[in-house]
Amino acid sequence: MQALSNIVLKSYQISALRVASSNIHSTASCLKADDRREILASMPKKDEGTEGEKTIAIDQLIQKDRVSMFPDETTPTTLFNGTPFKDLPIVAIKTTKNNTIIQLTDAQGVAQLFNSCGMEGFKNTRKGTNIAAQSTAISLSAKILERGIKTVRVTVRGLGPGRMSAIKGLQMGGMNIISITDTTRVSWNPPRPRKQRKL
Amino acid sequence: MKHMKFLARTVLVNNNNIEEACRVLNRILGKEEILDQYRRTRYYEKPFQVRRRINFERCKAIYNEDMDRKIQFVLRKNRVEPFPGCS
Repeated sequence: MQALSNIVLKSYQISALRVASSNIHSTASCLKADDRREILASMPKKDEGTEGEKTIAIDQLIQKDRVSMFPDETTPTTLFNGTPFKDLPIVAIKTTKNNTIIQLTDAQGVAQLFNSCGMEGFKNTRKGTNIAAQSTAISLSAKILERGIKTVRVTVRGLGPGRMSAIKGLQMGGMNIISITDTTRVSWNPPRPRKQRKL
Repeated sequence: MKHMKFLARTVLVNNNNIEEACRVLNRILGKEEILDQYRRTRYYEKPFQVRRRINFERCKAIYNEDMDRKIQFVLRKNRVEPFPGCS
């Protein structure tokens, strides 16, 4: 019985060897590089996402005071330039694929000033560019400064080309940005969206 | 549940460094899959697409778990012999 099982085992091992040896190539496949190039060319372009979404900056990890970046229960009453955080005026940025709209409201959310890429003189597809968003933000911040407002909170809504550059434009226009909030509307059980685009 | 507006998804800007603040905010939103969900709900995702995506995510999670385990195994520091097979 023992011998028989040994023979069976051995035959298994041999057959396993055979399979393994048949899978080994002694030469490289000729068209490997070409095939790979073809596959890569046919792949959809890799989406980098919003800036910082999928990348990690090294200096960020080294930095110690990450805690001070996030608001806590004392933040609403903390004074910024003599005003408590909760009474600071808000600059609301809405970025879509085709336009960027920036609005200044007071702390309660009452609208005061308003500017968009379309109002800035950009038309059609040029509205949906980061340059348009930046110049819109700069010209709006000049108007805000005329009202004597310098220190603001910023909220951003939507993922558009103007998301980053509008904030940058506000800073270039001389605004003192205290905080950045994301107010993108996201639902996990939304009403049925529109049908997919046909490409 | 609705969250407090300037407490949730908020980053304070230190020394006028808005780029870093934005990067931190975007990274958190990306990691929590909030931006993914936003992109996914722009257009209706048909049930077959949902199934395919969910299955793909499952496979990826299993692969990543195994790969993490392998990497941890290779990187483990308390070897008896520091360079096995190199004596």
